[in-house]
Amino acid sequence: MRIGRRMAVTWLLFGAAAALVCLVAPLMGSTSINLWRVFDSSIPFADNADAQIFFVARLPRVLAGALVGSALAASGVVLQALLRNPLATPFTLGVSAGAALGAMLALTLDMPSGIVGFSAVPIASFAGSLGAVAIVYGLARARRSGLSTNVLLLAGVTLNSFFSALILFVQFLSDFTQTFRTVRWLMGDLDVSSYAPLLAAVPPIALSFGAFAVLPRRMNLLSISDESAASRGVDVHRTQRLAFLSASLATGAAVSLGGPVGFIGIVVPHLIRLIVGADHRLVLPASAFGGAAFLVACDTVSRTALAPLEVPVGVVTAIIGGPFFLWLLIRNR
Amino acid sequence: MTEKGLAADGVSFAYTVGQPVLSSASARIARGGLVGILGPNGSGKTTLLRLLGGLLSPAAGRVTLDGTDLRTLSRAIVARRMAMVPQETQLAFEYTVIEMAVMGRYPHLGAFEIEGPEDLEIARDALRATGTLHLESRLFNTLSGGEKQRVVIAGALAQRPDILLLDEPTASLDLAYQLEIRSILRTLNAERQLTIVVSTHDLNLAASLCRELILLDRGRVLAAGPTQSMLEPALIRTLYGVDVDITTNARTGQVIVVPVAREAESPQP
Amino acid sequence: MAAHKKPLIIHFSLALVALMLAGPGAQARPQRIVSIIPSVTEMLFAMGAGPRVVGVGTFDRYPPEALTRTKVGGLIDPDMERIISLKPDLVAVYETQTDLRTQMNRAKIPVFLYRHSGLSDITSTIRELGARIGSVKEGSDLAGRIDAEIADVRKRIAGRPRPRTLLVFGRDAETLRGIYASGGIGFLHDMLEAAGGVNVFTDVKRQSIQTTSELAIARAPDVIVEIGADTSSSSGRNLRAWDAVGAIPAVRNKRIYLLRGDGMMNPGPRISQSVRRMAEVLHPGAIK
Repeated sequence: MRIGRRMAVTWLLFGAAAALVCLVAPLMGSTSINLWRVFDSSIPFADNADAQIFFVARLPRVLAGALVGSALAASGVVLQALLRNPLATPFTLGVSAGAALGAMLALTLDMPSGIVGFSAVPIASFAGSLGAVAIVYGLARARRSGLSTNVLLLAGVTLNSFFSALILFVQFLSDFTQTFRTVRWLMGDLDVSSYAPLLAAVPPIALSFGAFAVLPRRMNLLSISDESAASRGVDVHRTQRLAFLSASLATGAAVSLGGPVGFIGIVVPHLIRLIVGADHRLVLPASAFGGAAFLVACDTVSRTALAPLEVPVGVVTAIIGGPFFLWLLIRNR
Repeated sequence: MTEKGLAADGVSFAYTVGQPVLSSASARIARGGLVGILGPNGSGKTTLLRLLGGLLSPAAGRVTLDGTDLRTLSRAIVARRMAMVPQETQLAFEYTVIEMAVMGRYPHLGAFEIEGPEDLEIARDALRATGTLHLESRLFNTLSGGEKQRVVIAGALAQRPDILLLDEPTASLDLAYQLEIRSILRTLNAERQLTIVVSTHDLNLAASLCRELILLDRGRVLAAGPTQSMLEPALIRTLYGVDVDITTNARTGQVIVVPVAREAESPQP
Repeated sequence: MAAHKKPLIIHFSLALVALMLAGPGAQARPQRIVSIIPSVTEMLFAMGAGPRVVGVGTFDRYPPEALTRTKVGGLIDPDMERIISLKPDLVAVYETQTDLRTQMNRAKIPVFLYRHSGLSDITSTIRELGARIGSVKEGSDLAGRIDAEIADVRKRIAGRPRPRTLLVFGRDAETLRGIYASGGIGFLHDMLEAAGGVNVFTDVKRQSIQTTSELAIARAPDVIVEIGADTSSSSGRNLRAWDAVGAIPAVRNKRIYLLRGDGMMNPGPRISQSVRRMAEVLHPGAIK
């Protein structure tokens, strides 16, 4: 089948799968609700418990899951192409460490944001992620040669270690409840209960996806080597910059919204490549949709498996992701 | 009068300031030529090749294509005229052979354009020219060294370039594959009038393949001219620090360069 | 002079008993006490043993006098050197701090073991502590006062309908994220029951439970009580965030209460005041 048709089929199939998951998920939960009552407009919203569960508790959560899942999976694909390494994750280059530090500080210092429905934590977290990106980018920018991917990797890993140490220090200084809340944040939490943080996360993620739209063909070439991409007319420096910055922006926004949920950025692209092949024009959109579906599904498990207790969504993705990689390892031997 | 072909005029380049890799190097490659850039490792061969291919910009001097400075041409135009084959290709992802070949068509596609049946046919034709069409559905990573190199050459051919640049094309290949590549390149030059520039440290490859040679000695052009005159013991001694014996093989008529002893040592009687 | 000898023998026996109860190397009446536990520190001061306290934990803030004592760390990071440098003859530690206990044993310093648990354990801990420091009467009086206050609260609210209550002790400011509520066990739960409320999470046998908005709506509490230590931003904690889930009876009827104060979360002597404050909001008009 030619690439044009394959692209159309990929978009349709994976798009439909993601849409399906997102439509079904709000119907599931620890409480049973009556769908007729949810959409019964004769009952005033303030009194309609079923409608509030659907529109305030579940729907923002599902949308957040879709947004975070697609952002992390797509960023994973872009960074893997940039670093020419299928084991790279959106967190490899230090973005999530910066976001975590920002969140820790906000939680420990108990910062208020002054806006109802808006916690200071996502704002501080996003600021932290931007800070980390700026540092890594500054370090990796060689004078003439654009972005050195080796230095990028080193800078990212170093920043991860350094920020992790700072995070531990902040946790040590805070009292017991705050420490617990910071640890809990690290496990991921999509319970936004409000559309405000969602809407705030949309612009940076939409911007990144705009960049992602023009990257796939160049990423095919770039993922082979800088030289081979350059000899085919790719502006290597500009493409590297665009890939790094857009993937980091999407990751920063996603982590600020839902915490550093692991494994999505690596499990989903891997699975997708097993299904559609290596062409990034297929892998990128399929991973975005796949990431959304995967995270929303994990979050549904997270809030129903041990009801009324919540299993942190990062734990669910880890429980699935770990064995997946074990299986990959065994399969490849 | 605009000269047809690729030319470097006094180009200099350094990857790090203060450590020049090329100093005032000049080279002329005429249309339809089969030229080798010869020199020991570290002499600046790959750098000169990259400058000629427009992958690097010279710090001094200029590179022209048919008289036009490369820097004034858009990347897409350069990519449609010249194609580069690197020494080795290692893939992090599982592309198929046909995908690798089709990637050569990207310089001819618009921003959001997708390759059409014509592009696919050109890619297949390129694979056919290097004898790899039967491998089109295979994963690139599962091929042998020789097959991989031929597929990469096909990918470069798919760009439909006038000029093909190859960096140490046989360095990591077994003997049989070396012969193969050599014969493909000669055929492409003869049948398609493809200008071919090869960088190599292998004297015998240069001798058997190239019609002209550019000798590169520590970043400077030592000499340039027809192969016969370049493969001269005095020049080779300067370049490699080795005394050689140059003979002609009775069976193939090919010029053979045999290293005899290192410079300042005389062979034992 | 048999009349004089008798009281002497009684005092002597009591001292002997106290000595035996206290364990090896113990003083009958320790003069240099270190406590790294906030509630134990409060108990010591409330019993009048404040002058004998030489070291307190980093997070011990009440009574204000405690702030003048040397700080020696807390649950996670007890400062061994500093504790020993104070030459204590009794150190109150958490039962779970096995490393610290081992070191105290090695240094031949007597320890008083403390364990977090239910409401009733607070008064029994106070009595034990009193006996241990040679202030049996003060300890017993303090415990008695606390028991009496709580009993008084129970009496006043007896027979009244008990509202279903969500007891929240943590929440991200201005949002409904990160809500932590008391589960069906622990002293917060006991406090709620004593104050005349029914915990909506009685069935969940855990001390704390992360409450999602869906869970809060599903459990439909009649009253929401938010408690916590006094932090500077507590006034910023905007109760309007609850408006998003107006289907909850507590929100609809505007029965959301903020109970702030350092003592609220501390299982110490002020617990009876906390119970009283809670009862006041759960049953307006019943107390006082």
